[in-house]
Amino acid sequence: MNLAQALFMGLLQGASELFPVSSLGHAVIVPSILHWSFKQSDPSFVPFLVLLHLGTATALLILYREQWIAIIRGFFGAAIRGQIRNDSERLAMLLLVGTIPAAVLGVFLESRIKSFFASPYVAAVFLIVNGLLMLGFELLRRRAERGASRAEQESHFAEAERISFRAAAIVGACQALAFMPGISRSGVTIGGGLVAGLRHQEAARFSFLLATPVILGAGLIEVPELLKSGIPLGEYVAAAVLSGFAAYASARFLLRYFRSGRLDPYGFYCVAAGLVSLALLEFGL
Amino acid sequence: MGLGVLGVVFVVIAALYAVGVLQILTSSDAGPHYKHAVLFAVLAVASFVGANFARPKTVA
Repeated sequence: MNLAQALFMGLLQGASELFPVSSLGHAVIVPSILHWSFKQSDPSFVPFLVLLHLGTATALLILYREQWIAIIRGFFGAAIRGQIRNDSERLAMLLLVGTIPAAVLGVFLESRIKSFFASPYVAAVFLIVNGLLMLGFELLRRRAERGASRAEQESHFAEAERISFRAAAIVGACQALAFMPGISRSGVTIGGGLVAGLRHQEAARFSFLLATPVILGAGLIEVPELLKSGIPLGEYVAAAVLSGFAAYASARFLLRYFRSGRLDPYGFYCVAAGLVSLALLEFGL
Repeated sequence: MGLGVLGVVFVVIAALYAVGVLQILTSSDAGPHYKHAVLFAVLAVASFVGANFARPKTVA
């Protein structure tokens, strides 16, 4: 992988990680469509992805720095006291409950699932499935909505701190679906949040907060491997920085978009992108 | 009580993965598995937190 390819992949990963369109699916499909020669089975590809994810996680930590300070304080306060007294403490415990299923499934299943499904054809099919899931989540949501204007419709739904612990665990477990390239982690968690009764913007906030410990933890554990694998660290770090900037910008955009926006456009995009990708892969255009 | 015991079990499993004694459900058959060890350490913390929440509280 040359510098230009690394930077492009950094930009793609950072931009698509938080959008509900599957970064992994795009990372599998796009190089194949562009006929790039680097192999994703190459030993240096995993450290590369790890660095890109660290860039994304850093962007999310910066974006939510004040909330994370309150969440960490809230976690220790509630854990030591054995009682939840405020919203930050409740959110900290919800994130713990939501992170555990994803972490368990990630450690035991992620590499097996990813290697099993790591084909651009399969990723394209799952991208279509992801699009249909987004459209399905919105269909379910519309049935529960009341009111004429979007603001009125959203006002009947809750903030992230009000989600139930059972719903947090289910939304967290949904993250495991994203081990299949083409299924979006943020898409299924935002969709899960919507079904659990959160406002769109709050579902996105909960999704981003939920993703941070998993992405950061998985990345930090792999850091020692980065230092001994003899990879072109300078190029990869530049790509990770670019990924971080792209993730920060996309998170800001999405939080603004979901004040009144829906998942529908991303659902239609995923269905169209999956179909076009299948055609391009099949006919080698 | 039950969650506290579970926490201790998770600490032991985390230690066994960290020193490379435990190789169950791992991608390689040798060496330490830090990812698994960290996971069980997190599960241990969650269990202890759960145990503290379940502990009967004295009314002030």
